[in-house]
Amino acid sequence: MLEVLKIVAYTILICIPAAVLLYLTFKTDDRRYLFIAVAFYVVFPVVVTISFPTSLSPESITLYEAVDALPDSSTVLLTFDYYASTLAETEPMSRAALHHLFKKDCRVLTVTTIPLGGPTISERVTRDLAEEYDKVYGLDFVNLGYKANYVAVLKGMGSSISAIYPADNSGTPLSEIPMMADIKNYDDIDFIYVVADNGIVEYWISIVQSQYQAQVGCGVTAVMAPKIYAYVSSGQMTGLLGGMKGAAEYEKMVGHPGSATQGMGAQSMAHLFIIVSVISGNLMFFIDRKRGRKRKLS
Amino acid sequence: MRTIVPVIIAFLSGMVMILAFFFDPEKSILGELEQNVLSWVTIVGGFTLLLGVVSIFRVNLIAVKRRHDGWGYKLVTLISILAMAIPAIIPSKLSPLFGTGTDSIYDWLFNYLDAPMMATMFAMLAFYISSAAFRAFRARNTEATLLLIAATLVMLWRVPMGEIALAYIHPDLPQAINTYIMGGINMAVQRGIIIGAALGAAAMSLRILLGIERTYLGK
Amino acid sequence: MSWVEIVQIWLVAFVTLSLFSFLYKDNPFYRLVEHIFAGLSAGYYVGLIYHSVILQTMIDPMFRNGEWWLIFPGILGALMFSRFSKNYGWISRISLAFVMGNTAGIFLLSELHGKVLPQVGATMRSLNPQHQADGWTGVLLSLLIVVGVVSTLIYFYFSKEHKGVLGGVAKVGIWFIMISFGAHFGYTVMARISLLIGRVQFLIFDFGNSIKELFG
Repeated sequence: MLEVLKIVAYTILICIPAAVLLYLTFKTDDRRYLFIAVAFYVVFPVVVTISFPTSLSPESITLYEAVDALPDSSTVLLTFDYYASTLAETEPMSRAALHHLFKKDCRVLTVTTIPLGGPTISERVTRDLAEEYDKVYGLDFVNLGYKANYVAVLKGMGSSISAIYPADNSGTPLSEIPMMADIKNYDDIDFIYVVADNGIVEYWISIVQSQYQAQVGCGVTAVMAPKIYAYVSSGQMTGLLGGMKGAAEYEKMVGHPGSATQGMGAQSMAHLFIIVSVISGNLMFFIDRKRGRKRKLS
Repeated sequence: MRTIVPVIIAFLSGMVMILAFFFDPEKSILGELEQNVLSWVTIVGGFTLLLGVVSIFRVNLIAVKRRHDGWGYKLVTLISILAMAIPAIIPSKLSPLFGTGTDSIYDWLFNYLDAPMMATMFAMLAFYISSAAFRAFRARNTEATLLLIAATLVMLWRVPMGEIALAYIHPDLPQAINTYIMGGINMAVQRGIIIGAALGAAAMSLRILLGIERTYLGK
Repeated sequence: MSWVEIVQIWLVAFVTLSLFSFLYKDNPFYRLVEHIFAGLSAGYYVGLIYHSVILQTMIDPMFRNGEWWLIFPGILGALMFSRFSKNYGWISRISLAFVMGNTAGIFLLSELHGKVLPQVGATMRSLNPQHQADGWTGVLLSLLIVVGVVSTLIYFYFSKEHKGVLGGVAKVGIWFIMISFGAHFGYTVMARISLLIGRVQFLIFDFGNSIKELFG
């Protein structure tokens, strides 16, 4: 009941400035009033820390349970298939995944198919979390980095990882890295955890999952999520995290609430504002059309 | 010669992948050949990215030389390319500031300039999509109304505040949206699109291999 | 917070606010930062390809393991640059054809084997009562899936005019597609707002704290 009262209060809060700014946008045809409103509904909940309990979706639970069911010390391939442009959605997923994997003492192999920033982001995030869990590079985790032409990379790693990646991200030959001694190809990897912001996630399914029978789960940006439902439903994809909400769900399950959980208040307010603006835009449109018809008749 | 040789190379390069699919890579010579071809492709693929950079550099350099409109900004682009590229290719043995390591200039420029810029560029889309929702999202006919209702329900369901509000209307409503809209109707449509697009991609691949499709050669 | 950290945060805040200033109107700050962004992004590729491709995949294995034949993909790659020549531009087609043929070879199988067959199979399986969820909801869901997949495919089938039964099914298809696109739009709004939240979190927490540190 308290939650509902809170929602009613926030809705009223949304409606008053929203009505003023939307009216000004409609009358002056200057969209900058609308921009002010959007900025307000994102900044305000971050400043005053508005938060609501995050519920868990079945797809996120499936992913969490699949990772949790892996025996300790399993080998997991974690991908950083995203650009810096979507860090707000994807980095919390990678961080939550690393919390989960390092807690379980999994050996983590990271890889990226993104040329612009992929290796730098994977290095920064992985080393950050590894420090927290006292993990040693080369024994507990390895960053393979980037190689060009992702289709060939994904296919080639199926036969031999070292043929595609003769060295890790910093140039150390794989033969000199202890963790890589018994990791030759996908057969030696227990789970592939894809975090992506683009269509590459589909190739992890069509090339890697279907040809090498690897178990693949993913966290993707909200733009990608609706498409991935088809692969989850066909059983090709083991679980799905969709956008910042998906990241917040995984953060909740691993017990490390981070920036995604923090962002849910602003996400809620902004969504409500956009819904209000769509409804009022339609109302104004229909009122205007009705008036126009009346004028024509008279 | 100028067309036939590339078409034959494309055919051979693709056939290696197709034939290798049907044999055990560890027991056949095709497996080894496939591995080598894939490794070669990653190298050639790298050069294509460099080609793009050289092209950008060339275009901007010409604009600066000829003092085109906004040549000052183009000069900034050229300086930025060099500022990122030169320290990156100097061996890190000379100083940790060089190369692409975690303490390098390259790493610093990416983390503190390039990444925030990229993130902000895309963050600006939030304003434009809101503007589009307000100005263009109209229930003019049945199809547009269906689109509008589905979008509104999903926007509500996908955030904690909206989910609570929906559950207050009916406790099973959030789950029903996930099951029937996302996992039902949306999933079915996406599946249809995936099947159609995959058939199209397979057909196009076959056309490329057989040399029927030559537009990528500039024909 | 050290002064280095403060400088870094202020630099990030400067580029962030410069780019956001475009929302008001185009201005020199936005343009300057936009061109720095383009340059740094292009420059990033140079460092990345030099280390991860040219050194690690080509030069090092050649000298360390004696894999001299890696000179050939290097030559193929270098041929790409012939595009800048009017007379010899056609040579770059050889390298391009090598990559295109390889990708086409992989795609021909993976698109059919990894997408079409499993997706068609899953649609068929949903008709099997053993694979359905319990009760009428399971039947309803299976029905939605089969009707949705078939009508979407028919809507995108343009070889025959959408008339009669075909037209009717295509009409159902467009309703399904509109609902799916609506859901997609909802998710896209969510994605864009999330990215804005990311920048706002930086400005309020990191930049805000640095201001407090300096003036508070």
